[in-house]
Amino acid sequence: MLINANSNTLKTEILINEYLKLIQSGVEAENILVLVQNSKKKKEFINKVKEKSPEGNIGNLKIFSFFGLARDFILENWALVENSISDETNIKIIPSLSGLEISQKIIKDSIEEVDFSGYNSKTSLLHQLFRRISLITLNDLSKEEIKKRAEILKEGFSNEVNSLINIYKAKTINLRAFDYIRQLNVFEFLYKKVKNNFKYVFLDDGDEITPCVLAYLEHIKPDIKEFFISYDPKGSSRLGYLGAINVDFEKFLGEKATGIKRLNLRTENEALNIFNSVKNDKLIDLKTIKTKSFLKRNEMTECVLSDIKKLILSGVKPSEISIVTPNCDNFLKSEFNKSGFNFNFISKNEKLNENKLISYVLELLKIINDTKNMPISPYALKGIFTELLKCDKKEAIKTIQEYIFKSKFKNTSIFEILENKENEKFQKLVEIYETMRFKLLSEQIYKIAEEFIVFEKEIKKDIIKLNEILKQISDYETVFGDSTNNYELIIQLENTIISENPLHDEEIDENSIVVSSAQKIIDYSLKTKYQFLLDVSSENWLKQDIGPLYNAWVMQKTWSKDSFELEDNIELTKDRTARTLYKLHLLSENTCLYSSVYDYLGAENFSGIDKYYKYNVELNAKTEIKPIIPREDQREVLNYNGGLMSVSATAGSGKTTIMLLLVEKLISGEILGNIEPKNIFVLTFMESAARNFKERIKAKYPDLKELPNISTIHGLALRILKENNNYSLAGLDFDFEIIDEIKRNAVLSEIIYAHGISSDKLDLYDRAVSAYKNEISVYDDYQTSNRLFLKVFKSYQDELKKQNLIDYDDLLLLSLKILKENKDVLYYYQDLAKIIIEDEAQDSSFVQQELIKLLSGKHKNVIRCGDINQAITSTFTNSDVTGFREFINNSKNVVMDRCQRCATGVLDCANNTVKYAQKHNIKAFSDLIMKPVENKNIIDKNAVTKIICDNEEEERAFVINKIKEILKNDSNATIGVLLRSNFAINKWADILEEKSIKTYKNSDALINNPVYKICLLVLEYIANPYETGILKTIAEELYRSGYYNFETYNYAKNLKEPIFMTDDFNEQFWWDMNYFLFKNTYSIYELVCEIGQYYFSSGKNAANIPMVGAIAQKIANSSKTFENTVQKLREIQYRNNFSNIKFFLNEENDAKASSVQIMTLHKSKGDEFDYVFIPELTQDNLCLNVNDYKLKESSTFIQKVKKDKKSDLELKKEIIEENYRLIYVGITRAKKKLYLSSAKNYKIYNKKRECKISEFLEEIV
Amino acid sequence: MTDTFSSNSLKILDKDLNEFKNKYIDNLTLFKNDKRAILGQKFHSLICASIKGFNTEKFEKSLEENELKNWLKLKEKLEIKRNGFIKTEYSFLVKNFLNKKPYYLTGRFDAVFKEENNIIIYDWKTLNIPKNPENDLQTIVYLYCAEKIYKTKNIKMKYLSIEKQISEEIAYKNEETYRNIIENIISKTDDYKH
Repeated sequence: MLINANSNTLKTEILINEYLKLIQSGVEAENILVLVQNSKKKKEFINKVKEKSPEGNIGNLKIFSFFGLARDFILENWALVENSISDETNIKIIPSLSGLEISQKIIKDSIEEVDFSGYNSKTSLLHQLFRRISLITLNDLSKEEIKKRAEILKEGFSNEVNSLINIYKAKTINLRAFDYIRQLNVFEFLYKKVKNNFKYVFLDDGDEITPCVLAYLEHIKPDIKEFFISYDPKGSSRLGYLGAINVDFEKFLGEKATGIKRLNLRTENEALNIFNSVKNDKLIDLKTIKTKSFLKRNEMTECVLSDIKKLILSGVKPSEISIVTPNCDNFLKSEFNKSGFNFNFISKNEKLNENKLISYVLELLKIINDTKNMPISPYALKGIFTELLKCDKKEAIKTIQEYIFKSKFKNTSIFEILENKENEKFQKLVEIYETMRFKLLSEQIYKIAEEFIVFEKEIKKDIIKLNEILKQISDYETVFGDSTNNYELIIQLENTIISENPLHDEEIDENSIVVSSAQKIIDYSLKTKYQFLLDVSSENWLKQDIGPLYNAWVMQKTWSKDSFELEDNIELTKDRTARTLYKLHLLSENTCLYSSVYDYLGAENFSGIDKYYKYNVELNAKTEIKPIIPREDQREVLNYNGGLMSVSATAGSGKTTIMLLLVEKLISGEILGNIEPKNIFVLTFMESAARNFKERIKAKYPDLKELPNISTIHGLALRILKENNNYSLAGLDFDFEIIDEIKRNAVLSEIIYAHGISSDKLDLYDRAVSAYKNEISVYDDYQTSNRLFLKVFKSYQDELKKQNLIDYDDLLLLSLKILKENKDVLYYYQDLAKIIIEDEAQDSSFVQQELIKLLSGKHKNVIRCGDINQAITSTFTNSDVTGFREFINNSKNVVMDRCQRCATGVLDCANNTVKYAQKHNIKAFSDLIMKPVENKNIIDKNAVTKIICDNEEEERAFVINKIKEILKNDSNATIGVLLRSNFAINKWADILEEKSIKTYKNSDALINNPVYKICLLVLEYIANPYETGILKTIAEELYRSGYYNFETYNYAKNLKEPIFMTDDFNEQFWWDMNYFLFKNTYSIYELVCEIGQYYFSSGKNAANIPMVGAIAQKIANSSKTFENTVQKLREIQYRNNFSNIKFFLNEENDAKASSVQIMTLHKSKGDEFDYVFIPELTQDNLCLNVNDYKLKESSTFIQKVKKDKKSDLELKKEIIEENYRLIYVGITRAKKKLYLSSAKNYKIYNKKRECKISEFLEEIV
Repeated sequence: MTDTFSSNSLKILDKDLNEFKNKYIDNLTLFKNDKRAILGQKFHSLICASIKGFNTEKFEKSLEENELKNWLKLKEKLEIKRNGFIKTEYSFLVKNFLNKKPYYLTGRFDAVFKEENNIIIYDWKTLNIPKNPENDLQTIVYLYCAEKIYKTKNIKMKYLSIEKQISEEIAYKNEETYRNIIENIISKTDDYKH
């Protein structure tokens, strides 16, 4: 019997009826093999058989999941296996059919025996090997088949991997330990030796079968009287890395499949429509599918929760709703749990200690089994005392304080302190320590649980987890026996991610909303009336099927081609997506899709499944936004109609606005005809500009599902690397990371130290490494003759490789390499990039220009926009202004020379600077002279004030008084103090703050973000509950931001003793702080979310909460204790970013209006202020004459690694030219007034020194 | 509420309703790697392997001296019985109705032999045989179910202690009595439902 059926039928019921008929006809149950997809379905099958059977004996049921079959087979016939093993040292009457954790340890040990030098990272290696072993086994691949595939894929490490797998296999045999994948190998060996007793076979969900199970069915086929199979030719959602195979069962059985009645015709037709649309590149266009798109992820989750609320209020039961997302992260969990509804999160992979109870049990075990007398984290102790022992909170903290105090003076064991306490639970703890510490870990846990855990229904989930860990530990103890080191085992358990165990079935709580991955929903055939698909724009929807050591497509049993191309990957991924979305839809009556432009870390989503759906919205621009009427000189840009165009736009000419208009015109199809957002590429110089651009487009078209590709060049390069598994073409693993500035410094420091180079050369080497990378990308066979540098460079590259890291230069170079070397990838992007728009083109690097050239190769529509006069990065980055100059000559050039920003006097000053340079034959500028816009610029011939002071005190007084005067007259004025160097920023901030002028410096520093600041403060308080000073600061900050009132602030300010010692129940602040203090969680991430969501529940800052959480978690992962983590969070407070996580900034004007902004001239580009101060204009700071300039090592060092080295004179010229442009940029920031000043002497290293005034101040102004 | 009972769960239900609920309904018990239980499993595996006709010589090398002695004696007896062997490790599932609601009895026969006209259900115990085997719930459930499976009343239940090398045999008595005992215990779950 062969039925073609999906979950929209009663297929399983039909099979069960046939099964019962057989039994009633006298066939013994033990002669009928029933195979179902997983344990949950097995349980359901058995229950239905029980329910439908008549009274009496039902029999010895042989109902198995695909994996359970092998397990049962091994247990039944183990003697045959044992007898075939030659080794007699470790004979086992019962084998260990253990979890993946054991294999993980065995593989780790095996890796030590194989030389994997040159392979990227060890963590990823383990993952890669697991996947490979699993694919080989599931697909039942022979040695020859593996060899053939290694050739097709031109695998680099196939010999190493093969010998590793052999070692691993030998070890598992030696230990008699087999995980569920390895069991399949043993199964294959066994079934060929054992007589088959089955006469009938039932197979449900045949489309999800794996080749190895199919091979078994083939093997027993001659003995089988009849097969009963249900399958869906459009099913097989587990194709790819989960190893399913699409079997032609009609051929297998030699009979035609029959169709059966569909339960819901609408659902069926829609699901078919989805399948066909995806397969045929048509958009899924169904009225029943709702779509919603957002900019930030927290906006999306907010909407989901509000939609759920509406449904529940209208009478829908929680069990009628399911949420499908590949990103079930802690932020989502914490947001959802906060909502008050019941959610049931079915995660595929989670760490064991993600359960609070487990995490405290593990912490306690660490303390008990520690033999090195390591200091204990007070935070961990607090958790153990209050959560596990359920001690009185005050007593807990006091005891911990005593421990902290005593261990300051001498090494103290916590048990010495507990010994002297009367508390019965402390006594018990001491007893456990004394009697159990040398016993097996499993026995210790058993004892702890017996003493401290009350087995109630409320903690059922915890008990399930506790049992999982006990089982794991017992397995471990059985397999590795006496060699188990308790402490090491705990550490390993803490870091183990429990992978999906197919033999374990998840219990689904009937009164809750299920949150799960698509695969789990499909595997469990979980039908709900409402299905919410979240994060549909995330690439995680489409699983990674390719890595350096495995390729799920080529490793399929059925793979027959001799090569593997990008096209194959795209087609196969699409095929599986079609199957997944089809199966998913069969399980739902109403579907709603939710997407967001950014993921929870603020990085842009791409390659999601949203591209398969048509969004049911009209593309209506929001009308309330005031339309912009372009000026005459701007209009020409908007007349663009294809081809190459350069836009030379002076400062303040409204360039950004016009680019935005242009992109809007493109979106609406007015230019270049039918172009889609995905065909538009916009490259900005700064990440913030890209975000800003996106936000403005999203604000105008809120319903636009897909924004144009707007990113920095690095963002684009990252996408090229990640999309369609392209990273594997560059020899990278899927989990490669980009090294951040701090880590790069650390890595380089160590290397130069190791080479005996002085640490003050770090910056030189840092820049030289970057410069050299760009050189060797341009000149293929170039190698620097600087031997020492070359050694440093090589060590640096090796270190990156070892840690699976790449740097920003690699990002560009690798993506360029992939495009150049893989025509299929290149054509893919060339097709896509119908137009490329580049902003700040004068700062574009050689590599960036190469990328643009390559990507625009097909459609050749490029607009590059910039201002040569503002090229200020060429002397210290790889930017290359000559490329833009050439482009201007070779394209249609539009000039936007109207500046409507600056007062006329300021314009004159800027134009005079250009003219002065031209007069002195310095080629710093283009000959563009700025013109004002009628009725726009402030007419003020005296807008520029120049002052030369006798000493620096006088200059400071001038600046301070002027600022005070401005603020007195216009409290909303924006003021900028622009400086030549970074280190002057703090100095000027101090000077102004001292005079009670609020400053805002370095706007990107982590601590400037309110979420970071408040979370850090509260964490510091949790780490030091005795420090009342922190509470005062917290109250003050939150009083200033308007969260607490003055009374609260006053209360906190006057606290005399630790807040948890008081009984101030009528103070909100008391409740809040005690809540956080005793909010023991398993992870700092959760704690940050808790604090963040409490104080910043909505608005711009809400989106930053998960980012702060992620930073804290990243630090926590490499810190030993909570206290360490908090300390490190404080240490990094002034960094601009951490691990490349960048906060969403507040509306710029919020910060601007309330304080004076202090920044470098470089950083001010793109900004504008009503009043601008540029002090300290000495010759040292701004030299405009080649003869006066002394070259520094920072300029000459890079030349040493370059192929075409510049002469000193050329270098000097370059620097002088850039100085001209730098001051030009500074001048053009001012809208109303510009104050230029210098003093005749400055204190340098505590000595007063005379300084020459810059030629600029003397001659030009 | 569970509707499926083993002799073990019935014993607990009979003894303490709360314990039953914790263990079988709410699953609030902790996994324990009991050494004695492992030893029991080991012997069961040996017996099964032997009955199935697998060579157990290699297994025997892993046994401790005392274990080996006991095993060899047992093995000898099994050899003699080989002809009457019907099944080993037979899991049964028997359906019944109580107040029109179904309930199920489940369990596993270590081995089933046919001796003359009798069906003998073997159950090996590592150490102790039930003190009062005739009234032991395992005997009751097993005999009751065996009658449903083999449709004969010529059934005996035989307990054997491996360590003590003693045995005890109980013959099938009365369906009604067995059923009453079983259902009396099961009806205790009604208390919980209320």
